[in-house]
Amino acid sequence: MTVSRTASPTVLALDSAAGACSAALWRQGRLAGHRYRAMARGHAEALLPMVIETMAAAGAGFDELDLIAATVGPGAFTGLRIGLATARGLALATGVPALGVTTFAAVAEAVPPAERTGRTLLVLLDTKRSDLFAQRFDAELEALGAPAVLSVDALEDWIPDGPVIVAGDGVALARPVLSGLATRCAADIAYATAGDLPDAAHVARIAARLFASGTSRGTSGETPGGLPAVPLYLRAPAVTAPRDAGR
Amino acid sequence: MIVLGIETSCDETAVALVDDRRHVRADLVLSQLAEHRPYGGVVPEIAARSHLDHLDGLIRRAMAEADLGFDQIDGVAVTGGPGLIGGIIVGVMTAKAIAAVRGLPFVAVNHLEGHALTVRLTDDLAFPYLLLLVSGGHCQLLMVEGVGRYRRLGTTVDDAAGEAFDKAAKLVGLGYPGGPAVEQAAARATEHDGDRFSLPRPMVGRPGCDFSFSGLKTALRQRVAAITAAAPDGRLSDRDRDALAAAFQTAVADCLADRTANAIRLVHADGPAPTARPTALVVAGGVAANRTLRARLEQVAAAGGLRLVAPPLRLCTDNAAMIAWAGLERLRQGGRDDLDFAPRPRWPLDPAAPKATGAGVKA
Repeated sequence: MTVSRTASPTVLALDSAAGACSAALWRQGRLAGHRYRAMARGHAEALLPMVIETMAAAGAGFDELDLIAATVGPGAFTGLRIGLATARGLALATGVPALGVTTFAAVAEAVPPAERTGRTLLVLLDTKRSDLFAQRFDAELEALGAPAVLSVDALEDWIPDGPVIVAGDGVALARPVLSGLATRCAADIAYATAGDLPDAAHVARIAARLFASGTSRGTSGETPGGLPAVPLYLRAPAVTAPRDAGR
Repeated sequence: MIVLGIETSCDETAVALVDDRRHVRADLVLSQLAEHRPYGGVVPEIAARSHLDHLDGLIRRAMAEADLGFDQIDGVAVTGGPGLIGGIIVGVMTAKAIAAVRGLPFVAVNHLEGHALTVRLTDDLAFPYLLLLVSGGHCQLLMVEGVGRYRRLGTTVDDAAGEAFDKAAKLVGLGYPGGPAVEQAAARATEHDGDRFSLPRPMVGRPGCDFSFSGLKTALRQRVAAITAAAPDGRLSDRDRDALAAAFQTAVADCLADRTANAIRLVHADGPAPTARPTALVVAGGVAANRTLRARLEQVAAAGGLRLVAPPLRLCTDNAAMIAWAGLERLRQGGRDDLDFAPRPRWPLDPAAPKATGAGVKA
């Protein structure tokens, strides 16, 4: 596959990893089309019509795309597969690459620069199993270490010293611990005004940036920067082999 | 007309291309058997993950094997249900995406309709016909009257036939999947031990066309318990194991034969007009691979004045050629689905049939 590199790619991005469903078209350095709806279920029904509306709103054809991007997780297993199966199907049918962006990166991208300046950004995602997926970023959105699965009790030890800002739909779950820290230790904890749920608009912006930086580095292959479009589950399937099976 | 078919509703990732001259241009099946074997059955989350890992690459391979581009196909058909929802979603979203990009009609096919119409692809069979659908997830008798027109005559009230084979294999210490394991063990026992044990035949002799296998499974369990309790080493000998497998297989064959014979009488009785009479008895689904069962059904069909038509084994088990074909039949009639189609883990072929329980609950 020949991928034509451009510093200003046209990117179609999707997200259905968590409590929202969205599609976004990034073109000539700005958002040209966007659909976003908060929803707990129904992503499989909503996503393709939202993609088509997004393309129509931008007056864009699928043949204009340089790149497809989607959130790879962590998130709801089914939601991740809805977005990634769609992204990979779109990539197959258009002949352009599909790239993955973590849900952490998508949420971090939504936090306004003014809010994160001088702070460590902590992205906390609700696993829906009473614990958290967590990752730290610096003020410039460079990841500081690998993603983690944390119990709420373990959160206190995971939070770094110095001023922090928290974002993500796991903040509600973490709030008692965060308030306790602020009160007992006078910790400087700020709450982001955006980035509750992932949004394809931010995924598109990240993907466009990765694509453009891939150009400058002269990388090649199907995934220009970023991650392959495969799920970041962070948990194995909940199953154990019976002792007597498989004979 | 050329249709791309996608099947991801259980533990096989499958892609096929079929045309309206009944030619299968490509037919690829990627079995996940090795991934599920350690668990003694299909694990839905493992299946869903594997479908996503492999489906796009398999479509690319099928298109290459058939030497076709997306601009040469006329529609995208995908299993929309019933089955394991995690896998169905992967197939449905992939199919929707391809249809959206290429401006092709999207068709969500009922998996059972795929099985039901396969003989029209393989044998060009005319409607109507009687269908015995026996698989790991289903056990039904249907009158197939036309595309989209199915009348359910009977279904299982508990386990599916293939499920019963899996459970029986486990009870006597044979491996997974149980169908081939039981058939091979029964074949070993045939010469001397084929009728040493006798097991009950639930529903046999009763009116109607419903099936039940749970009592048979319980009887087998009790028989195994009695034998192992009396054995000095507390174990089931290989010879007893094979004899029990033979007894189980014979009992299932008798059940299927009895219920199918009832169905033939029923459709002959309610179809005085020659056009309403079935042209054949069709057997489809993975359990139709069992040679002993097929032989019994040959007899039943002949006794009822019908010929038995069974697709080749490759098209009896789950595959995408049947999905592409069913989609093609729907498209020829002007049918298609919208891109907001919701995957249907439960999807009865005959919506007018009374709600079933057990394995029949999904369809």
